Amino acid sequence: MKSYMGIDVGSVSTNIVLLDDKGDLIEKLYVRTNGQPINAVQKGLKKIEEKIKANGWDVEIAGVGTTGSGRKLAAVIVGADVVKNEITAHAVAAMNAVPEVQTVIEIGGQDSKIIIIRNRVVADFAMNTVCAAGTGSFLDQQAARLSLTIEKFSRMALNAQTPVRIAGRCSVFAESDMIHKQQMGHNLPDIIAGLCDALVRNHLNNVGKGKEILSPIVFQGGVAANEGMREAFRKALDAEIIIPENFEVMGAIGAALLAREKMLQNKDIKTAFKGFSTINCDLKVRGFECSECPNLCEVVEIYENLQILARWGDRCGKWTEGIQEQKNVNFN
Amino acid sequence: MSVKVGIPRALFYYYLFPFWKAFFEYLGAEVVVSPPTNKQILNIGVKTSVDEACLPVKVYYGHVISLRDRVDLLFLPRLVSIEKKAYICPKFMGLPDMIRSTLSGLPPIIDVNFNAVKGHRAYKKTVLKLGSNFCSSLRKINRAWVEAVRHQKEFEELQTYGFSPIEALRVLQEGRKEKKKKKIFDFSHEIAVLGHGYTIYDDFLSLNTIKHLNDLGAKISTAENLPINLLEEKAEKLPKRMFWTMGKRILGAALHYLESSQIDGFVYVTVFGCGPDSVIADLTERYARRRGMPFILITLDEHSGEAGVITRLEAFVDMLARRGKHENYFSSYGKSVDICQSTS
Repeated sequence: MKSYMGIDVGSVSTNIVLLDDKGDLIEKLYVRTNGQPINAVQKGLKKIEEKIKANGWDVEIAGVGTTGSGRKLAAVIVGADVVKNEITAHAVAAMNAVPEVQTVIEIGGQDSKIIIIRNRVVADFAMNTVCAAGTGSFLDQQAARLSLTIEKFSRMALNAQTPVRIAGRCSVFAESDMIHKQQMGHNLPDIIAGLCDALVRNHLNNVGKGKEILSPIVFQGGVAANEGMREAFRKALDAEIIIPENFEVMGAIGAALLAREKMLQNKDIKTAFKGFSTINCDLKVRGFECSECPNLCEVVEIYENLQILARWGDRCGKWTEGIQEQKNVNFN
Repeated sequence: MSVKVGIPRALFYYYLFPFWKAFFEYLGAEVVVSPPTNKQILNIGVKTSVDEACLPVKVYYGHVISLRDRVDLLFLPRLVSIEKKAYICPKFMGLPDMIRSTLSGLPPIIDVNFNAVKGHRAYKKTVLKLGSNFCSSLRKINRAWVEAVRHQKEFEELQTYGFSPIEALRVLQEGRKEKKKKKIFDFSHEIAVLGHGYTIYDDFLSLNTIKHLNDLGAKISTAENLPINLLEEKAEKLPKRMFWTMGKRILGAALHYLESSQIDGFVYVTVFGCGPDSVIADLTERYARRRGMPFILITLDEHSGEAGVITRLEAFVDMLARRGKHENYFSSYGKSVDICQSTS
């Protein structure tokens, strides 16, 4: 059976999905990136391969799509047919899950976005700017500060009686505000619910500024697992919030759907997928500062079995394009 | 040996350089320009400038320092106003003072006051007076003025043929005769890039926004590609007079593009902490939304990672592409026919 793979390499998690030829989900995987995207992709592929073998699935990868902030890296490692930005990928996946969707709220590890869809076309979108306040990493951090698992932290907000008001503009302020409230004797559920309210308020004011948020509203991305956040959005928007079944891997699903779309439209091209053997490849990354001009570009190089695979980061393009002439490199 | 006058490649370089270059050169001076912004210039600028300045001002510091030891005079004019009843951003007014109070070891600074608020005559008078420092012949100074005006005019005219200021400067320098038309490559969308010229045309500062959009198959139009009198005329329609020259032009361009069907989307490039843009960008966005014009705001600061900008631009162009594909698929009873059926 032909199937399509989507890989979403995010700041916090790396997600891999496998779709069948109709576009339905066969398998999904959510692994923490832990700051090592290459490792995460290899680990993820390995798990997928094991799963395929264990279940005796007859699967032929007919297309691969990558997305997320590490999409370029992942594309080089596994060989991708489609390399798409997160916004398009999330929109496609949301429309696939909820065909009549008009608003997509997506909060991930480092960024949060809102996508406005009208007539099944992205009409408008916004992403958080320079600052990552109010995204998954911050919630993670707060859960860790309170020595709670993120799951427990997420449910705790639902027990709140009277959520306190927390400043949500900046995560540094939010944290000190939380500490003040806690020292004044407010109980934890009230503080956490207050935090969720603040983050939602911040999201709607900053990212969602001036956008017409119409139902159906889909909430996806890793933070959609957080029940406190779901409830806070429900309250703030006074509308039903739809959490798609595979909310945490929507980016990957979108990438796979886009790969599928492309391969179906171009029947005569073969997938660029390098096969599961990439998990055994010895991949190494090296960075250096090019000192040939005052720009001092930080160039990244990726090696596969000591052969240069790709390079980027230079402004002039000299390194990116000059791959051919590069010899093997000693990594010791 | 001729006097070396240093002009930083920042801020008003992108608007008035041909004028100053022609003027000083006619009077026998040699004009030295700092190199295009690079990491070193940015780093030095950020380190030395006052903290609350915007990025283009910080970069200006870097350019001044890179000129410091190479010139006899530094031309750091105090631009208050270049036209009647409109001003330049307040940070420009304090620029020479800011530079002088923070940097040391500078060559003498030419910091004449340019103020055309009360009319063009005063402006001309300032320029002529400036010329008298270089040459005693009034006739020659007058001719330098005429020459400078001619160069400036040619520069502005070239831009209305679709050249960016950088390209126009190159054409002027090479003195090409067949300069009338800019070659146009195949493009799928035409996008208006709005913002202050010293931000959008500085490739380093703008993280190559224009180049990335070109790579994504978009043709770029900017406020500078429109004749100034057209911008004025459009900006007249604002309910309240815009008193920043640059802001007026940006809004004039936005209003013009909203009326013509030539442009598919607006990309507004601003820097963190820009005072005028807090008003201009927001106004532009409101007008764009009212007319259903796709709009995206790109806020830049010191980060040199282009990935975030590329993601946003890519998504924006994707949106335009998917929109275009679907435009003909609206059915009459309000439910859209889905072109992506194959994916669901």
